[in-house]
Amino acid sequence: MKKFLTALLAILMVCTLAACGSKDTADTGTTDETPKEGTVFNIYAWNEEFKGFFEKYYLGTVPYLDTDGDGTLDAYYEEAPGKHWVDEGVEFKWTIVPSDNSQYQEALDAALLNQENAATDDKVDLFLAEADYILKYTDSAVTQDVKALGVTDFSNTYSYTVEAASDASGTVKGVSFQCCPSALIYRRSIAKEVLGTDEPAEVQELLNSWEKFDAVAADAAAKGYLMTPSYAETYRVFSNNVSSPWVDADKNMHFDEKITTWMDQAEKYVANGYTLTEGIWDAGKNAEMGKDGRALCFFGPAWYFNFCMGPAHEEAMGDWAIVEGPAAHFWGGTWLLAPTGSDNPTIAAEIMNTFINNEDVCSKLISQESQFTNNQAVNNKFASDPEYGSEFLGGQNDVAVFAELAKNIKFQNITLYDQYMNEGLQTYFVEYLKGTVSREDALNNYFKYINEKFPAINTETAK
Amino acid sequence: MRGKNNRKSVSYAKWGYIFIIPFFVVYAIFTLYPQILTFYNSFFENYREGLTQIGPNFVGFDNYIKLFTTSTDGMIDIVKYFSNTMIMWIIGALPQFAIALLLALIFTSTRLKLKGQGFAKTVIYMPNLIMASAFSMLFFSLFSTVGPINQILLANGILDKAVDFIAFKVPARLLVALMNFLMWFGNTTIVLMAGIMGIDESLFESARIDGASSGHVFKDITLPLLRPILVYAAITSLIGGLQMFDVPQVLSKGIGMPNRTTFTVVMLLNNYLSGSKNYGMAGAVSVILFIITGILSIIVFKVLQKKED
Repeated sequence: MKKFLTALLAILMVCTLAACGSKDTADTGTTDETPKEGTVFNIYAWNEEFKGFFEKYYLGTVPYLDTDGDGTLDAYYEEAPGKHWVDEGVEFKWTIVPSDNSQYQEALDAALLNQENAATDDKVDLFLAEADYILKYTDSAVTQDVKALGVTDFSNTYSYTVEAASDASGTVKGVSFQCCPSALIYRRSIAKEVLGTDEPAEVQELLNSWEKFDAVAADAAAKGYLMTPSYAETYRVFSNNVSSPWVDADKNMHFDEKITTWMDQAEKYVANGYTLTEGIWDAGKNAEMGKDGRALCFFGPAWYFNFCMGPAHEEAMGDWAIVEGPAAHFWGGTWLLAPTGSDNPTIAAEIMNTFINNEDVCSKLISQESQFTNNQAVNNKFASDPEYGSEFLGGQNDVAVFAELAKNIKFQNITLYDQYMNEGLQTYFVEYLKGTVSREDALNNYFKYINEKFPAINTETAK
Repeated sequence: MRGKNNRKSVSYAKWGYIFIIPFFVVYAIFTLYPQILTFYNSFFENYREGLTQIGPNFVGFDNYIKLFTTSTDGMIDIVKYFSNTMIMWIIGALPQFAIALLLALIFTSTRLKLKGQGFAKTVIYMPNLIMASAFSMLFFSLFSTVGPINQILLANGILDKAVDFIAFKVPARLLVALMNFLMWFGNTTIVLMAGIMGIDESLFESARIDGASSGHVFKDITLPLLRPILVYAAITSLIGGLQMFDVPQVLSKGIGMPNRTTFTVVMLLNNYLSGSKNYGMAGAVSVILFIITGILSIIVFKVLQKKED
């Protein structure tokens, strides 16, 4: 036992020393004269979605990158010698941290703030961010101008995706590989009973304003159906179209008129039995997607109905269709951002260009992955293709609907507090809707939560 | 000869000290130093807004003053969260100790000599092995509006409409207490059993020969001699209770619904830390928790110890 322990300690000591040694050599490696890029490409993400696309379409489509197909980059840029190249190949290293309880952002923040001091092999070279908190990174020195890196052709992308990735002065810091216009997803069988039709054009005509939406909600309730399965189902339709930000320049918090309209609507819909007090991701809402589902309208982009409506796929396939609904809006979307201090900017730019401008890759994202891409030319090609249709939507061409919708999306009045503002309001306000807490108490708890997260915000102005 | 012996004992003492050094080193690095740092941090304004670091700026007792300021609803929030924590702990701890004591007596009874004890002990200890958050998630699903509890009650006609149990104060708090009870009564049973088995068997025998009833034996032999272990179990349970976090956090989706009545002190600490890294406020909450834990532990210790004198 004693001998074993001694041996173990000795091994541990040697390992510690060895670790120090390898770090030293890595540091001196960077001061080489020839412009070399790093051998480890670090990507931060919160799930495996983009990793899958990356491995299937980036490594697979750009032939000279991974010649032996082992997931590492071989003889990078041998076709354009002299630019930047590495001899031994580049390893792609993924750091995937779930986004629950802000874990992802905490891990990412720590890495980005330590970027300067990190060893070259540990520097973040590309990271993913969502619309709700993208401003935190774009409006900061931790990200850099991608146009300078060689991502210059934005002619095919949707303008809101570029606005979202830009800082206040208009410098573009990244690109989105998907575009996420959100549609009104209705159940055909219920639409026939409530509206008398399930034809998208006619349904849109009956639901293109909030007044009409309210009238249909009353009809649906009278016939024993729900207008929406969740009080928060319509939240993004309002919050994406606000005319003032959550927090002004003096850090005073305000409820935009659109948000108060949503609050009134949620209150009225719950009171009248038009909707449920279930949250967006609650099991009680998901139950309404199945064969006994009573809800007429869901709201969501391509990723939502393709990947998050499980019971609908299993029990009500083809019983759905999409239309624009009362107002254009978006939900989610993943942006690829370029961190400052990356030692692999060329590959980062290459990846970004591939996912917005490579028509072959974008086509596959639609046909094989049910995505709506950020390339208008490719989307339009599918939109006008009579052969193309979604099985889930009973053969309807979803790309055609989204292509129209995406043009009207605005990305404005965004603050770095939005994620907490939006999610917090939904979770605290429902306590009032459930009838167990007064409206005043529910909102006070919401303000307390905001101040626990952001001590500098003045919530008094919102009361 | 005598001189040799002396030298030997001196060198033994030296080794004794050397052997306990690792504990003190580890304690100093991982417990004492962070504790001092927490006290230090609580006097600073120190948080992050987005990626911008604010502070650390020395603010004296401002963080404490902020915590003890009455909010708009006329309550001092941290007092409310502290009483939530204590209420949920007491509801769970009372049956926990009662049942654990009963089970410990049954398992150790030489008159009953129960069969299959090993199995029973394993089963009652099982819930403690499950991660608290997983256990809480299970209860969240069981009691959700579309969960099995609602389905059973609806199918039997006991309810005519699904009930959102967790949206009401009493069921929400009872569920938290129930989970803590289920997770910890097995552990307490084992601890108390060890205490009872440590009591000299001849005491029980002589009492029985003298004709003492079971009640008498329990009251006059078991309980007094079990007191030190009971104090230990009560204090560890109290400390665990004050730090209650994962069960209510998961069950109430982190907001302590309804109306923050299942919101605990450590959930407040978590709100300050996650995302905004507010070391100042979180430090102040920790210090308050530390002081309260100290005071309550002393009270429990004194109350239970007193009778022995």
